[in-house]
Amino acid sequence: MKLEVKRIVKNFGGLQALKGVSFTIDSPQLVGLIGPNGAGKTTLTNIITGMLAPTSGEIWLNGERIDGMRPYAIARRGLGRTFQVTRAFRRLTVMENMLVPALARNPRADRHAMEQKAREILAFLTLDHLTNEYARSLSGGQQKLLELGRLLMLDPQIIILDEPFAGVHPRLQRTIYDYIRRVREAGKAIILISHDMESIFTLSERLMVLNFGELIADGPPDEVRRMPEVIDAYLGRDEEEETEHA
Amino acid sequence: MRRSAQLNTQYQARYTLWGLAALGVLILLIFPLLFRQQPYWLYIASQALFYAILASSWALLAGYNGQFSFAHMAFMGLATYASGILGRETGFLAFDLSPWVSIPLGVLFTGFVGLVIGYLCLRLRKTYLALFTIAFAEITRLVIKAEVKFTGGPNGLPLKPLLESTSYVPVYYLMVALFLGTLLAMYVLVRSRYGLYFQAVREDEDAAAALGVNVVNTRILAFVVSSMIAGLAGAVFHHFPTVGLVVPDEMIIGRMSLVLAMAIIGGSNSLIAAALGAIFIHFSLEWLQEIPLPAAILRTLEAHRATLESLGFGLGENGLKTNAWRMVGFGMLLMVTLRFRQNGLIAPLLERLSRRHVIQEIAARRRAREEEEIEVSDEPNEQVGGAS
Repeated sequence: MKLEVKRIVKNFGGLQALKGVSFTIDSPQLVGLIGPNGAGKTTLTNIITGMLAPTSGEIWLNGERIDGMRPYAIARRGLGRTFQVTRAFRRLTVMENMLVPALARNPRADRHAMEQKAREILAFLTLDHLTNEYARSLSGGQQKLLELGRLLMLDPQIIILDEPFAGVHPRLQRTIYDYIRRVREAGKAIILISHDMESIFTLSERLMVLNFGELIADGPPDEVRRMPEVIDAYLGRDEEEETEHA
Repeated sequence: MRRSAQLNTQYQARYTLWGLAALGVLILLIFPLLFRQQPYWLYIASQALFYAILASSWALLAGYNGQFSFAHMAFMGLATYASGILGRETGFLAFDLSPWVSIPLGVLFTGFVGLVIGYLCLRLRKTYLALFTIAFAEITRLVIKAEVKFTGGPNGLPLKPLLESTSYVPVYYLMVALFLGTLLAMYVLVRSRYGLYFQAVREDEDAAAALGVNVVNTRILAFVVSSMIAGLAGAVFHHFPTVGLVVPDEMIIGRMSLVLAMAIIGGSNSLIAAALGAIFIHFSLEWLQEIPLPAAILRTLEAHRATLESLGFGLGENGLKTNAWRMVGFGMLLMVTLRFRQNGLIAPLLERLSRRHVIQEIAARRRAREEEEIEVSDEPNEQVGGAS
């Protein structure tokens, strides 16, 4: 797998939301992406997945240029995502939600085999008791889990998770942790966008920091968290540390 | 024991539904025997089935795919006119084709127009899509009305008869076959992966696209299929010897609103409910034209004829004529449905029947899961893997 993001610029009228962002992911790894609100994280995600067109720059996936492709074509090429605000298909059952990506990615797939696979994933996500329930009846946290389940049915090589822990009950957070670890162990690359620093530093093998549309840091989490520009822009200093410095 | 009870309920629900479906088909089949002496009601039944096809195919587009189109009657008219023109003996594009050939060609033509309109509507949502399709429907109707030499203008276009017999019975049975055939075809479609795509796109286009669904093709497919089915219903119905004519005012927005209301009152998220809604509304409106009353009551009302007429009612030979009041009642039923039963009046009943076992199963599983969670919570607390 190889995702190359090259000099991506995105302008919204007079506002430059992304200012030449570049990075490469060429191995199964968990990459944390952090930054303050308005830094451009979701804009970058939307551009990578084809929801938005970049003003300039290029995106390559496994040697194929994908900027300008429609989102469905990018998804079918193995790049999946979740959304910051949950977007389950509310009037479809949980099982139907799971079947949509499986059949879209592989129209010739055996439906019964896909249903069996969906049941296994739902059991892992502790949603198996809700298989035939409408998605609208699920709690917000359960809908987040359902979105993650759909991604497994799409079976992408690279996954972008946008705030998977936001507004989720601690018990369900544990399930999401297990999910991320399992996906990572399955040899997939994950870009994890989160404001939850505990989860970012616990899970990430590499950390990227966006600030005002610029990638100001990209490296091992322990190194990135000590960078002064990252501390100033986002992480801040501990009160004790600040007192000592004073 | 619990599993066995669930299976029993599941089979009961399934058999109940199949039983109801079989009963419905049986009623359709024996209807002519019951109304042999009343050909008028056979004609009304054929018309009701025509509306049922229109309502269910509109439900396929709007209920399943979320495209709220007002162009459905225009597509119905386009296929009928195309078939009629191709079947003419003289005139421009007159090929003297048999209706058995001209109808499929008319339907294909409508599918092509549906493809173009569907493509043009791709980026339009809700109000804008509705306005666009209203404009298209009105332009189509007005052009057909204005092109007197080509289409017959306001007087309509005579159509070759599809059947030799002028009896209402074969007409009715052909309409039953068309109704069941189109309903089955649409049912198969919505149960296939395309049906899932239709609904996923209706729910959230961006999320569907992010999961690999080709939104453009899905929306266009829904538009083309529903247009072709509307066209097929229109062309076949108007080619019956009992009809034999198509006029542009059948494509008027008021008629489209009637079809739309039939689907909404039945339940636009279900093909069968929309069809049943159309049948129920059409028969009700016909029956309400003159509500049959006993002779004694009619004699009493006769004394108040002037008052009744001043209120907009009338007295017929056998009952009370409701005139415009039946449409007022129909409009009020639509308003009540939209306000209190947005899923329609019939669809929720069908869903309750079909999902009864599912609801019980989910409730049982939820209880079991809650019991498990209570047991887990009694154990010593475990740190959530690093989460804050």
